[in-house]
Amino acid sequence: MSSSMEFSQAGSFASAPASTSSEAHASAPNSQQAMWAIEFEKVSKSFGAHRVLVDLDLQVKPGEKVALIGPSGSGKTTVLRLAMTLEKPTGGDIRVFGESIVFDAAGKPLSISQEARIRRRCGMVFQQFNLFPHLTVLQNLILAPTTVLRQSREQAEKSALEYLRMVGLESKVHAYPAQLSGGQQQRIAIARALILKPEILLLDEITSALDPELAGEVLDVVRNIAHEAKVSLLIVTHEMRFAREISDRIAVFDAGRIIEQGPPDKIFSNPESERTRAFLQRVLNH
Amino acid sequence: MTWDWSFVVKILPQLMDGVWYTILVTIASSAIALIGGLLLAILESVSTTLGRSFVRFWLELFRGVPTLVLLYFAFYVLPEAGVTLPAIPIGIVVLGVVYAAYCSEVYRGSLITIPSELRDACVALHLSSFITWQRVLVPLMIKRSIPALLNYVLGMFRETAVLFAIGVPVLMGEANVVGYENFRYLEPFTVAGVIYIGMNLPFLYLLSRFKDKHV
Repeated sequence: MSSSMEFSQAGSFASAPASTSSEAHASAPNSQQAMWAIEFEKVSKSFGAHRVLVDLDLQVKPGEKVALIGPSGSGKTTVLRLAMTLEKPTGGDIRVFGESIVFDAAGKPLSISQEARIRRRCGMVFQQFNLFPHLTVLQNLILAPTTVLRQSREQAEKSALEYLRMVGLESKVHAYPAQLSGGQQQRIAIARALILKPEILLLDEITSALDPELAGEVLDVVRNIAHEAKVSLLIVTHEMRFAREISDRIAVFDAGRIIEQGPPDKIFSNPESERTRAFLQRVLNH
Repeated sequence: MTWDWSFVVKILPQLMDGVWYTILVTIASSAIALIGGLLLAILESVSTTLGRSFVRFWLELFRGVPTLVLLYFAFYVLPEAGVTLPAIPIGIVVLGVVYAAYCSEVYRGSLITIPSELRDACVALHLSSFITWQRVLVPLMIKRSIPALLNYVLGMFRETAVLFAIGVPVLMGEANVVGYENFRYLEPFTVAGVIYIGMNLPFLYLLSRFKDKHV
């Protein structure tokens, strides 16, 4: 990791939830449920006959860092896509700070605007970065702040520069994504997600498309996000060492279920499930 | 049959009138085709199954019927229904609508090639669907469509010649008129052909530039 990143500004991100979401929090219908940042209750998801998730229960506290690990196709990514409303669950309920992102109070499917309001508290970073190729780095960063949060251009650019400094890429402010390395693109994508000050950040295999030496610089950025206590992280990753280092809890997936979860040290040194042991043996011996 | 330069000089001003009308019609029809095609592609993408089949019906109609049939229909049949328009607007609208159908296919193709992951990113950034279209999808659609769209503009430019059939004084029409007024067709049609080729050149230059850029 060669680039020396400056994180002196790091304290400024994700520290203040967007005003809309704090209102939403205050009006959460059930204060008992509101203790979870995000909660999956008996969630199933099928694509046709293929059952990707089966009766999933998972709760994440505000500020908690949870790593989802397990074999490919075990449903980890689907969990994040459901949280971001990129998929709809086939059954069960998902609540963000106590508010369902699936149903309204009457049990009917949420309207688009209700859904948009609640999921505003989530942000997501993707395996393939998904930067907008026709926009510069700066334009990528300020698009959502100026349109969704209705910030002024100056205000958005100022905070964009802060986040770029945080990920060590303020010199690339006018570059296009195609002019950046994969690792740089992913760091921009992280900055683009953070600029909206999510309270829950979903990281979907963010280093899987990167060479190992580029993965390192991205993981460094995530380490620094993790030190910020306020944001909950839900991390799908194949980097076991990273998962162990960064998370408060690890959930092991297999065939659409969580077969085991617990503190990283416990999972890695003394797993209860035979399948966890077999999985870890496979991935750690490489 | 001998080539008469003095006749060429004599008819050139009238042919140049035709050139201006050709340019006017091409620009106006292109505007209809490029904007209309984009709107059709968006409409088809966002509408319900029923709306989509409605759009598709019109697309297939305008792509499937020869332009000349549509021109004659608009020029000779619509007046019987009480809609009488001058030839130039009819020509512009018919050409524009026909090529809007072609252009919408180009835009649609570009839209399909935009990775779904980019739409996921728009959701994850909480962009409204209007902003998603306005700031992400439409710019990408246009950017990816430019080489193919230029081809259609070029095609439209050439096809302005058929508008002479309803009396629009495009270059082809003017050549025809000076031909039968003077009983000499060699010079008018030869000069018209040379002018058409000459006017093609900027398009061909643009096209080659975009192809270099986008390959």
